[in-house]
Amino acid sequence: MAHVVKHITVVPSYKARTISDFVDIVLSRTQRKTPTVIHKHYKISRIRDFYMRKVKYTQQTFHDKLTLIISEFPIISNLHPFYATLMNVLYNTDHYKLALGGINKARQLIDDCAKDHVKLLKYGDSLYRCKCLKRAALGRMVTILKGQAKNLLYLEEIRQHINRLPTIDPNTRTLLITGFPNVGKSSFINKISRADVEVQPYAFTTKSLYVGHTDYKYLRWQVIDTPGILDHPIEERNSIEMQAVAALIHIRAVVLHIVDISEQCGHTLEEQLALYRNIKPSFSNRPIIIVINKIDVIKPEELPEEKKKVIAEFQAEGEPVLEMSTLTEEGVMAVKIEACERLLTFRVEQKMKTNKVANVANRLHVAVPKKRDDKERPPVVIKKKQAMVIDGESRKLERDIEQEMGDDYILDLRKTWMLQNEDEKYDVIPEIWHGKNVADYIDPGIMESLKALEEEEEARDNAHYYSMDESEEDEETREMRKVARKIREKRTILTIESGEKRRVEKSRMPRPVKRSRSVAQLEKDLDEMGVEIPKNADSHYVRAKSRSSSRPKSRSSSRPPLKRARDQSEGAVTRSKSRPPRDRSGLRDNAMIRKVKKMAKKAQKPRNHQAKKGEGDRVILNMKPKHLFSGKRKAGKTDRR
Amino acid sequence: MAIRAQFEGNNEIGVFAKLTNNYCLVGIGGSENFYSVFEGEIGDTIPVVHASIAGCRVIGRMCVGNRHGLLVPNTTTDQELQHIRNALPDTVKIYRAEEKLSALGNVIACNDYVALVHPDLDRETEDLLVDTLNVEVFRHTVANNVLVGSYAVFSNQGGMVPPKTSVEDLDELSSLLQVPLVAGTVNRGSEVLAAGLVVNDWMAVCGHDTTSTEVSVMESIFKLSDHEPSQIQTQMRDSLVDTLS
Repeated sequence: MAHVVKHITVVPSYKARTISDFVDIVLSRTQRKTPTVIHKHYKISRIRDFYMRKVKYTQQTFHDKLTLIISEFPIISNLHPFYATLMNVLYNTDHYKLALGGINKARQLIDDCAKDHVKLLKYGDSLYRCKCLKRAALGRMVTILKGQAKNLLYLEEIRQHINRLPTIDPNTRTLLITGFPNVGKSSFINKISRADVEVQPYAFTTKSLYVGHTDYKYLRWQVIDTPGILDHPIEERNSIEMQAVAALIHIRAVVLHIVDISEQCGHTLEEQLALYRNIKPSFSNRPIIIVINKIDVIKPEELPEEKKKVIAEFQAEGEPVLEMSTLTEEGVMAVKIEACERLLTFRVEQKMKTNKVANVANRLHVAVPKKRDDKERPPVVIKKKQAMVIDGESRKLERDIEQEMGDDYILDLRKTWMLQNEDEKYDVIPEIWHGKNVADYIDPGIMESLKALEEEEEARDNAHYYSMDESEEDEETREMRKVARKIREKRTILTIESGEKRRVEKSRMPRPVKRSRSVAQLEKDLDEMGVEIPKNADSHYVRAKSRSSSRPKSRSSSRPPLKRARDQSEGAVTRSKSRPPRDRSGLRDNAMIRKVKKMAKKAQKPRNHQAKKGEGDRVILNMKPKHLFSGKRKAGKTDRR
Repeated sequence: MAIRAQFEGNNEIGVFAKLTNNYCLVGIGGSENFYSVFEGEIGDTIPVVHASIAGCRVIGRMCVGNRHGLLVPNTTTDQELQHIRNALPDTVKIYRAEEKLSALGNVIACNDYVALVHPDLDRETEDLLVDTLNVEVFRHTVANNVLVGSYAVFSNQGGMVPPKTSVEDLDELSSLLQVPLVAGTVNRGSEVLAAGLVVNDWMAVCGHDTTSTEVSVMESIFKLSDHEPSQIQTQMRDSLVDTLS
């Protein structure tokens, strides 16, 4: 069930058996998540908002919690018919629906209640009244929930029960086992499925439901044993058990009816036949197999005459009758295979009627190639035997080495290298050498060329190519070489010596500045070299004239003066003629100048009294502090402040 | 024989390994578990080599190869190339392809005789394929996917294509490739076959999620056990119908 219904959260009960009951959860949440401090002198709108928020928050929390419950519980009409019937059997659909309906109603009432009180709060005129309204609202909400206490309890029980139901996939391939108790149903399920069902009993109404899984033809098969449901005749069952059968018939399963031929189970063969006939109508349109168990105790042939008749009647039912012994495992596999095959064919037949199979037709098609040429394309055949031979210990894998070494393990990439010389495996190969990528210079034919070179050399050697040269030298040349070597040695020695000599320990001073050059020298030198140079003053190598004022001005030179000579009246300071001094600009004559000066002095007088420089010299030494001039004043306050 | 494996919890093992009849390349992972799956199965028969391409471990998607050779993208570094060269037998030709579609494994699917390539692949790469891998090259799509290398897997024995391939396409491709083909899935319904499956002529490795039905289809079509490909239509038909529809 768990996989059909998504996980359901715990339904908190109404009242305090545990700490986490519904009301506590909601109210403490309101307390935690809304502001808690309010004072009566606050603005009334603020007080109203404060309490409205509390009411609304509580309502929202209740609403969310109830919505969660309503949405998480499965809607029975949406479930697979098997689960729908099962839910009906287990929890009574009417009751279930009423409970959820009640919760829904409560949610609606709580919403309305909150709405009303929020409206009333808008008219609250004091903190006390607002608080009373809030209390009333919360109280009413809790009372509404109190009405749902039983429903909450019931839903919580259902939730716990649902979580414990076994996982039965109603759509998958299923083997359903029926028969009286003790006929060997459980041993059969244990034999064919992996699960040890004895340790996995699931509550199924008042009895148990065992589910196991088995594999056949690459598929997963579900095996269900239902002790307490299908092991006694219909008329002995109460209505709840009847409905449980109704649930099981929604599963597309093959029914295995197991018959105990030895009658050790306490029921005669006749009774077992009756049970089979009782159950059979419930499983019309399903493949059914009758399995005769415990043939290790007694073989069908050895039965007395009247019992043989019963067996014959079983065979006359029109369903296959198989024999097995769960003790000796004789025929168990045959039963399983037969059951699976019958169900598979049954399911495939049903599916073939729909158009689903057409959609997967291509996946059932194996395309076989048509020959397009005569070329053979054989697969690679590896001698598997050779590869599969296990010679004592198996190969030591990289993983084993890694596990042995633990953290010290370092992957050795070069281990798998296949080189001509094994000892070159771990040679260091630089990636970059002298700024060049080594890989760019790798020459695969280097060994051949080296070999060729060596051979050539050897050939030369053999032909006395080198030794011949040596003997050719005559006496004279040898003498010359000797002398030359001597000279070279001497030169090296001289170089070194001079270097030694010139090496000075202390720092070298620059040469003292001594200008030996002069015009006369130059003229003389040039004269000696026969260069005629004009000796007038205009020659460009004649020294430029000094501008120093100490030098007497020679007006006699041929050049006219560049500037006008200064007048004595103009004073020492040179000024551009076009701009008169500022204090005289715009004044007509000296009389006027004098007058203006007088006026200026007079205007300055009051500022001088204040020890100011002029108009711009304005300073406010201390601003008068505002606190002394503002605020309410009553008698006598001004002085004290 | 088909075995299931995982690469560091990932079922797309075809991304991290390249399996051929002559050698096997495995991506360098955090642990040796994945490598040892191959090493244990085929380490005695063919070299199983750790490799990376352009520093990535997704070598299955980056390179393409068969018994005769191996093509790596031009992003492969010199050192990686040298490592692969040294580790593989000398009979295997290795070339670096200057190809715009550099994930060669995604755009080329091949066995030892034929290759199916992306329609936009370079002419030069095609020539390189012919020279290096000794294959006939066909430009084709598989179930309207241009990434043939990702969606199709075939060995010299048989091949698988995505489940959406129509019956006519199956027959056409089969005649082109000269191997029996079937439409199927791996890894519990994944149609990216080459990502979930590596195969050569005598073994296959698939993702851990692969169902037993998928494995049995695989074993039949690739002739890994005693099954014949035709069994898919006969003995396994019922199981397939029941699981697929």
